[in-house]
Amino acid sequence: MSRRHMFLGVIAAGSLLMGAAGAAAQSPAASMVAGPMASPFGAACSAVPADGAGSFAGMAAVPVATAASANPLLSTLVTAVTAAGLGDTLNTTQDITVFAPTNDAFTALDPATLAAALADPKGLLTTVLTYHVVAGRIAPEALVGPHTTLQGGDLTVAQEADGSYTINGTSHIICGNVQTANATVYIIDGVLLPPMAPASPGAMASPAASTAP
Amino acid sequence: MQPAQALTTSPVATPRSHLLMGAVAGVIAAVVALAVGELVAAIIGRAASPIVVVGGTFIDATPEWLKSFAIDTFGEHDKDALLLGIGGTLLVAAAILGMVATRWRVVGVVGVAGLGAVGAVAALTRPIAMPIDVLPSVLGAAAGIAALMLILPRPAATVTGVRPAGDGSATRRRFLVTSASFVAVAALATGLSRVLTPAPSAGSLLAVPVPDEPAGPLPAGVDLGIPGQTPFVTPNASFYRVDTALVIPTVDVATWNLRIHGMVDQELNLTMGQLLSRPTIERVITLCCVSNPVGGKYIGNATWVGVPLRDLLEEAGVQAGADQIVSRSVDGMTIGTPTSVAMDGRDAMIAVAMNGEPLPPVHGYPARLLVPGLFGYVSATKWLTEMELTTFDAYDAYWVQRGWVQEAPIVTMSRIDTPKPLSQVAAGRVMVAGVAWAQHRGITAVEVRADGGAWQQAQLASVPSEDTWRQWSLAWDATPGNHRLEVRATDGTGAIQTEARAEPFPSGATGWYSTVFTVVGA
Repeated sequence: MSRRHMFLGVIAAGSLLMGAAGAAAQSPAASMVAGPMASPFGAACSAVPADGAGSFAGMAAVPVATAASANPLLSTLVTAVTAAGLGDTLNTTQDITVFAPTNDAFTALDPATLAAALADPKGLLTTVLTYHVVAGRIAPEALVGPHTTLQGGDLTVAQEADGSYTINGTSHIICGNVQTANATVYIIDGVLLPPMAPASPGAMASPAASTAP
Repeated sequence: MQPAQALTTSPVATPRSHLLMGAVAGVIAAVVALAVGELVAAIIGRAASPIVVVGGTFIDATPEWLKSFAIDTFGEHDKDALLLGIGGTLLVAAAILGMVATRWRVVGVVGVAGLGAVGAVAALTRPIAMPIDVLPSVLGAAAGIAALMLILPRPAATVTGVRPAGDGSATRRRFLVTSASFVAVAALATGLSRVLTPAPSAGSLLAVPVPDEPAGPLPAGVDLGIPGQTPFVTPNASFYRVDTALVIPTVDVATWNLRIHGMVDQELNLTMGQLLSRPTIERVITLCCVSNPVGGKYIGNATWVGVPLRDLLEEAGVQAGADQIVSRSVDGMTIGTPTSVAMDGRDAMIAVAMNGEPLPPVHGYPARLLVPGLFGYVSATKWLTEMELTTFDAYDAYWVQRGWVQEAPIVTMSRIDTPKPLSQVAAGRVMVAGVAWAQHRGITAVEVRADGGAWQQAQLASVPSEDTWRQWSLAWDATPGNHRLEVRATDGTGAIQTEARAEPFPSGATGWYSTVFTVVGA
C-alpha cells in the first residue's frame, strides 16, 4: 500500500471513528447509556446484525432481556426467560453478567431436561436460568476462575491454549463481552446445568433446595 | 517542494526523526486549530467550535450503519466517548497528516483544510446556524496550516539525501522552537476562550424567586420511609437526564430572553426580569421520559417555581387554529406541545427553579418548560428561549421527525422498588413497596399479586396533587422459594394499567412490571 493510499485510508477510517463515536441517540434516552470501553470478541460475533436493535449498538442501548429479544440467535433463551417471567427481573437488576446460550445450545440439550424445565417455570426453569447470571459485570480479563451465580451454584471459566474460553469444561464462549444497558453478555454454545444441591445457603432456591437453609 | 519532484527524486527514505517530527507537527497543528477554533467561537459568542458542531451533527444524524462500529470500537456511545472519539480521531489523523506532509506538503495543507471544511459544513447545518458560524472552523484550519508548515522540518534534505554536518541539529533546534511557540499559541488561545466563555455554573446569577403562590408544605406521609423505596422528592443530583445536548449550553441570564411569536396577536419578547415580574407559582411535578422502559428509572419528582404558561399565552393572544406550541432551546432543540393542553388549566409553567435551587445547568438553566401529564419530549424543553405558535400540520419537532408520536400523554405505570430483583429476603412479613404514576390523572389504586394469584390492594401514600407519582406499599407474607410479584395501577379515570407489553417507541412503554426473587427460610 502506498503512503498516499495509506493516508486516504486513515482519513477514511478516522471519519468512520468520528461518526461511530456519535452513534448516540435514536431514542430520547439512548444517549444515557454508558458501559465499559471494550469490544466484543469471538467467532460468532460476525453473526450479530450490523445494524438495528439486534446490533451491538442496538443492544448497548437497552437492558439485557430486551437486547436478547432483538437477537435471532437467542430466541429460545428469550422464550425460556419469558416462560419463567424473568424478563423485567433481568432488565432491572443493575450490573450483572449473563451467559446466554444460543438456540443451538438449547437444541443440543437433552429434550427431556428441556421439557422438564419448561414444565416447571417457577422452579427448575428459574433455577437453570439464574445459574447463567452472575452479580457484577465481569470483564474478559476477570473471566477465568470460579464465579458464584445468582442461583447459588458456582460456574468455572477456563482459558484454553488457543485463547478461547470454556465454561464448566463443556460450553464455549462464541461471542463475548457484549454490552447491554445493565449487563455484560457472553453468548455460549451450551446450556449450563447447575449442581442440583444448593452450593450455598440463601441462593436462588432450586426445587430441591426450597426446604434447605 | 512539489510532490511530483519528491516522488521522482527520492530513493532515500524519509529519516525516522523527520517522521516523528512530522507526527508531532501534525498533532500540534491540530491542537492549534482546535484552540483557535474555540477562541473564535468564544469571541463571536456562538456555540460553533469545530468539535461541538461536528459532535452535534453526528448526534443528530446517527447513521445506523455506523452504530455497530461505534460499539466495536468504544463499547459505549455516550457523549464523553463522542468527544473523546472526535478529539482522538483528529489527533491520529493529524499525526499521520504531519508524517505524510514531511514529504508532500500539499497533502498537509489540503488535509487540514479538508478537516476545516468538515467543521464549516457541520457548523452551517446546525439547527441554529448563522453564516458567521463557519469562522471558528475556517480560522482554526488556517492557524493549523500555518502551524504545520512552520513546524515541519524542511524536506530538502529528505529529497536529496544530502545532509550537511550540523544540519540535523539545526533542524531539530528550529523544530523545537517553532513547536514550543505554537504550543504557547494554543495555550494562550485556550486560556483566552475560557475567560471569554461564561462559567457553566452560572446558577448564582439567578436568585430563586419567592413564589407568589407557594406549594405549601408537603402533606404528611408522602414518604412511607420503607428501606429501598424511591424517595418522593428526587434530589437534583440524582434526577435523570435525557437530552440531545453534547455540550451543556451556558446561558448568560443577563442577555437571555424569551420570545413568544408565530400565530399570536402580539409577539412577546421578555428578559428574565420581565418574565419574573409576572406572578409565579410553586408546584411539585413528576417528569418522565418516553424512553423509560417498564421498571425503568428515567423518571423523577421535584418542586419547581415558574411562571404559568397560560398567563403568557393569554397575554400574547393565541390565534385560532394554532394547535401546536413549538418551543426551542438555545442550542436549537425543538419540542412540540399541544396548545389545548398548555391552556387547559393545568400547572404548565416556564420553570426557573428546581428543589429550591436555580435550575442546574443540565436541567435547563435558566428556564425550561414543564407541562404536567405529558412525556418530556413533547413538553419539557430545557434552555428555553423561544415559543412559536403554529400547527401540527405545519411543523414536526425533533423527536416527531424521528418517528415518535406528536401527542404523548403519560402512560399509567407502576414499579416495585423492593424487594430487589434476584435478591434474597427472609421468610415472614415482607414490605413490598414502590411507586406508581399517571401524572395529571393521578393514581387511585395499586394492586400486587404473587405468583399469578389474587390481586391484593396496596396502601397508597399521600400526594400533594395528581401531578406527582405516588408511593405504595404492601405487607406480604413470604414463604420460602422463588417468587414473582407483579404490580398494576389504576389512574384517576378508573382505568387499570394495561397488561399488554409495548416498547417505549413510539408512544411510551406499557405492561405490568414483575420481579423475581428468593425467599429463604427463617
